Amino acid sequence: MNNYKTTVGIEVHAELKTKTKIFSDSANHYGKMANTCTNVIDLGYPGTLPTMNEEVIRLGLRAALVLNCEINKHMHFDRKNYFYPDNPKNYQITQNRTPIGVNGYVEIDTDNGKKKIRIHDIHIEEDTCKSIHAEKKSMLDYNRAGVPLVEIVTEADMNSAEEAVKYLEKLRELLLYADVSDCKIEEGSMRCDCNVSVSKTDKLNTKVEVKNIGSISNVGVAIKYEEDRQIALYEKGETFKEQTRRFDDKTMSTILMRVKETGNDYRYFPEPDIPFIDLTEEYIKETKENIPMSADERREIYRKAGINEINIGKIIQNRTISDYLNKFNNRINLVIASNLLLGDIAAYLNKYEMVLEDTKCTDEKFIDVVNYLDKGKINSKIFKVILDDIMESDSSIDEILENHNIKEMSEEELISIIENVIDSNSKMVNDYKNGNERVLKGLMGLIMKETGGNANPELVTKKLVELLKK
Amino acid sequence: MSKYLDLSIKEINKLLKDKKIKPIDLVNEVFERIESNSDLNCFITLNKEEAIKKAKELESKEVDNIFFGIPIAIKDNICTEGLRTTCASKILENFVPIYNATVIDKINEKNMIIVGKTNMDEFAMGSCSKTSYFKAPHNPWNKDKITGGSSGGSAACVSGRLVPLSLGSDTGGSIRQPAAHCGIVGMKPTYGRVSRYGLVAFASSLDQIGPMTRNVEENAELLNIICGKDEKDLTSARKDVEDFTRLIGKDINKMKIAVPNYFVSDIVSKEVLDNFNKTVELLKKSGCTVDYIDIKYLENAVTLYQIIAMGEASGNLARFDGVKYGYSYENPKDLEELYTKTRQIGFGDEVKRRIMVGSFILSGENAKIYYDKALSIRDDIKKSFDKVFEKYDFIIGPTTTTPAYDIKEDSTDPLKAFMDDVLVIPVNMAGLPGLNLPIGFSKDKLPIGMHIVSKRFEEAKIYQLASFLEKELKLNLDPRGDKNE
Amino acid sequence: MEKLSKEEVLHVANLARINLSDDEIEKYRVDLKKLIDEIDKIKDIKGYDDDLMISPVEYNTELRPDKEGKMLDYKKALENAPHKTGNFVEVPVMLNE
Repeated sequence: MNNYKTTVGIEVHAELKTKTKIFSDSANHYGKMANTCTNVIDLGYPGTLPTMNEEVIRLGLRAALVLNCEINKHMHFDRKNYFYPDNPKNYQITQNRTPIGVNGYVEIDTDNGKKKIRIHDIHIEEDTCKSIHAEKKSMLDYNRAGVPLVEIVTEADMNSAEEAVKYLEKLRELLLYADVSDCKIEEGSMRCDCNVSVSKTDKLNTKVEVKNIGSISNVGVAIKYEEDRQIALYEKGETFKEQTRRFDDKTMSTILMRVKETGNDYRYFPEPDIPFIDLTEEYIKETKENIPMSADERREIYRKAGINEINIGKIIQNRTISDYLNKFNNRINLVIASNLLLGDIAAYLNKYEMVLEDTKCTDEKFIDVVNYLDKGKINSKIFKVILDDIMESDSSIDEILENHNIKEMSEEELISIIENVIDSNSKMVNDYKNGNERVLKGLMGLIMKETGGNANPELVTKKLVELLKK
Repeated sequence: MSKYLDLSIKEINKLLKDKKIKPIDLVNEVFERIESNSDLNCFITLNKEEAIKKAKELESKEVDNIFFGIPIAIKDNICTEGLRTTCASKILENFVPIYNATVIDKINEKNMIIVGKTNMDEFAMGSCSKTSYFKAPHNPWNKDKITGGSSGGSAACVSGRLVPLSLGSDTGGSIRQPAAHCGIVGMKPTYGRVSRYGLVAFASSLDQIGPMTRNVEENAELLNIICGKDEKDLTSARKDVEDFTRLIGKDINKMKIAVPNYFVSDIVSKEVLDNFNKTVELLKKSGCTVDYIDIKYLENAVTLYQIIAMGEASGNLARFDGVKYGYSYENPKDLEELYTKTRQIGFGDEVKRRIMVGSFILSGENAKIYYDKALSIRDDIKKSFDKVFEKYDFIIGPTTTTPAYDIKEDSTDPLKAFMDDVLVIPVNMAGLPGLNLPIGFSKDKLPIGMHIVSKRFEEAKIYQLASFLEKELKLNLDPRGDKNE
Repeated sequence: MEKLSKEEVLHVANLARINLSDDEIEKYRVDLKKLIDEIDKIKDIKGYDDDLMISPVEYNTELRPDKEGKMLDYKKALENAPHKTGNFVEVPVMLNE
């Protein structure tokens, strides 16, 4: 079985993050009541004409740039003709001859080092209606009709499920961090179709298209399933026709939808209702300069700040946290800040289903609390105690600490507590002096108990060791 | 019976201003005339109740523009909110738009009164209005003759003096050719001059709305109010507002005119040619130079037109599928049957033919062989016209090859409709403005027209030449002729 | 007289989603052939350049600001739909999904 080589090509549709649709000014909103975000253009009314949303061109160009594409500076749109109820005009306005970007690539990390997945093209087009199916009827919701999309088509450059998953994760990250799309697969704002084939030789075998995969990890499952299924057929000496299958997440398998007829006849022709669009060098340059910081650049900053790889991964997973952290770069200890954001603060926000902006934790309070922790003014236990107040009260950190009667202990006070503990625990002290360093932990515990948690553990350790040496 | 409608718009405007008449007098007269001429079959839908209501509303308003309270008829492929718009097709037989075309908004702004939707070829596909699902309109000059098409109803209602003004649409001659057959002035403006938003598309890169009127000046006046850049139409021209009447009455001496040899070749009947030649003599006598020239690819224009128009139409008419609006086949056994039976029953023969050929043209490798090649030669035609206009002010020719023919004449030949428009189609290919001016009559007293073409956005100049000829020719263009005197 | 084959007519009718009766098929075998012969004349034209003219408009597309405009009430949006359930447009079940 191992001598089969897998070949995968992927088409991704990503909805662009705009306020309005591509060819009309009705709202691009997800999750609204059916057919409440439409106008006559979205419904394909006779006599209506498309207009062109400037933000769509900007985001489309951004996407093409982050995918390292060559830009078609003189571009137009085309009509793709096919009859289907989710296609209101029975033609889709897309880009066939002059996609906004061509010949790009996405770089992924594999076990054998970096690998470039080539992008054949990225083009801008309109989304279709959403349809819901009953036994005999289907129901159409035109809210999604005309939502702007980019379709990103790779070359057949991936050779395993793992590579496909890595490509999709990287692509999602690129689009998300460029603010092109929110890439929510579960809401359908990012959709992946995979073309999978297996072959013993360099000559590609029949490919199978798998649609409808609801998560990136399931793309991996679907590809592995197809590898096994196709290899099993070849091993039995069977062949099959080019076909489209859908992924079923209940059985984690692929199910035949239709066998492909001899090539789809989409009868493309240039859209006469939309004249040429020229992207000037200046516009391209300006668009490029305004692309938000990429995930890789962010990773670099966090590494330099000393955040561990696991946490870096978590931060990059959560764009909001990353943006928040970046606000304070070079101003506070990012390690402490990220620990709070990923730990106690995240737990708090989760519990109350809130986002940070909903709380009373201002930037100023956040900076203060991180600095207090950094300088040992408070410890993480105290932070836990005052967290609710940080989030819910208008008071400053100093006021909160005062309200909780938490005062920073003076060094003399601390030293006197340590000396008391040393005096009344001579056995442990002797053990320590005889080389048993583990008793240090016990002594620490006793001291912390005495301080009521009001001392900085690092400082306590330092002082304790000093005094024991006396 | 009043005869206010026989007055010029300017005269009517004065009567309205002086409160000698009210808009309702005009509306009543229009409907009297429409009803007593119902055999002309100019209208698919009348807007009588609304028109009367509007006329009464206007009584309390100030007469603030020349078209205030003036009745107008609209071709039935221009969307009117709340007023049935059928495109003369069964598939839209009961379709009531929920929005207005931009030109309708403009007409409403001027407080004009829409009296009805005019008969036409189904989806503007045809040259004699006989493909209408609502049966053909008749020519007011001779009811046995065609009106021409596709804007046949719009031409006939103005010609028959039922309504002073109408709007038509022109994809390959559909304003100018029926204007010629009915003896009225019809202008196809420069592509982009008038917004197409709300015009049910036949061939998007060729379609253009234009005014159809009794005389040149009123035509220019009507173009004044319907033109202009529209944010809803990306192909609408970014041109400042201008007064298209501004050159009317100005001298035409020393103007340079080109007549393409093809337009006066043996494709044109002797009767039409004689009338045309007489007008050419008049122009020469008036100080114009007239040269006979050849224009590259002119003879190929119809072939290119067929390819581009049918290709675009096959896409534009795909939306009529029984799902969102219009006729829908009852109880289909599946989705496929909903589509194929709705379209079989909903569309007439001419439309089906064209969208099938259009699908053929774009199918697979054909797209390159036919469509792409047509688009690139189209560019060449445009350039060869541009070249002519480097030296000449106008291109002229007859508008039609013959006067209006018998309605009964066999029209089953699928090529006939295109050949009827052979002299006017090239202008749409290049996006140029073109106007039909009545210049005489056949021996059977049927109107004959001349086609005047200028470079893009020089409609004002066309009106200048046309109004000069109109004044010189002094034709009686009222088909009621003697009855009227 | 030359005609298209029945299959050729059915192929384009299928592309255009038009059902045809046997009589119609016979008629279109002749009619469509005439039209296709006519457009075939383009094959004889030589000496053109390769610029495509997709519209007579000489302007570039003017872009619209990303600002929300008026939308239709759902009742209005469905007003002309021949078949609907609740606030959805209804069609016979879509099998290809």
